[in-house]
Amino acid sequence: MAGALKIADPPGFAHEIHNYALLPERLVNPAALILPWLEVVTGLALFLGVWRRSAAAIFAVLLVVFIGALSINLGRGRPVDCGCFGTSSVPRTGAERLAEMKVAIGRDVLLLLLAGQILWAVPRPSRRGSAPLVR
Amino acid sequence: MRLIWQAVALLTLAVVCAAASNAMAGRERRLAWKGAAITEGSQRSASTPAAGSAAPVSAASSQAGKGSFSPHPDKPYVEISGGETSQLHGRGDVPFLDARRTSVYREGHIAGARPLSVWESDIDDKVKAFFAEGHDPSGPIVVYCSGGECEDSHTLAQKLYLAGFDAVFVYKDGFPDWQRRGLPVHSGDRP
Repeated sequence: MAGALKIADPPGFAHEIHNYALLPERLVNPAALILPWLEVVTGLALFLGVWRRSAAAIFAVLLVVFIGALSINLGRGRPVDCGCFGTSSVPRTGAERLAEMKVAIGRDVLLLLLAGQILWAVPRPSRRGSAPLVR
Repeated sequence: MRLIWQAVALLTLAVVCAAASNAMAGRERRLAWKGAAITEGSQRSASTPAAGSAAPVSAASSQAGKGSFSPHPDKPYVEISGGETSQLHGRGDVPFLDARRTSVYREGHIAGARPLSVWESDIDDKVKAFFAEGHDPSGPIVVYCSGGECEDSHTLAQKLYLAGFDAVFVYKDGFPDWQRRGLPVHSGDRP
């Protein structure tokens, strides 16, 4: 869902990534193009039960990155639009943005716990190589 | 090990989908894989300030007399107020460039302004085309975006400066201020 909204407007998402002031500029556009699709691909894999451990691991890494990016800017006192669900066209004050960043961090921490639960609950593949590819 | 290979496969699938999606996207929604909206460094001269590092100077305070918008080849742009912008608009021969997204431009823009969104893939082509139109490199050009924390106009100003324009003025309070002042606004694709 979140990935699909970003896929609809890559330039808008690139702008949001730029506002975080964390990535070198030459990596902003590739990140804006690939990240939303990575969210969609891992989300579909989790939903369909395909390669769940790998999808959950990617999901967890993405969430750690998102939490880190939001936390760094919160620490800087730099209000940014989360960009979590695409581009926002609603003008907000800096204080409103900072409050939304805290909410987004809380939400991402909960999702990270969920990803951890999947990694813990889904059994590891058999070492004999006879385990099915799709679990 | 299997987990790593599967993760790499998912990542590869995401990259392939991103490439296909971007190739099929329309002009306004496409992104260049290489390069970025923001110009890194300067190719104009060693002494040129990098993007975002230019010290903004008020036109009114930097010019010999109010209403004189002379070239400033030593810096990419000079910030101007709504009053100064209105003054330049009134001359009728000063190009106005809108750095916001084209979709936002269509909803409303300064009358006569042209869309040059810095976040769309064809921005460099548009800047080159603008230069090729034969505008006076020392003549004033006004760029704007949404005011406040919006930096798109400064990014566009930097690109214009690197293209060879010496008198780029950034309307620092942008389109919201223009609307508040009740100055002429157009909507749609028409400048």
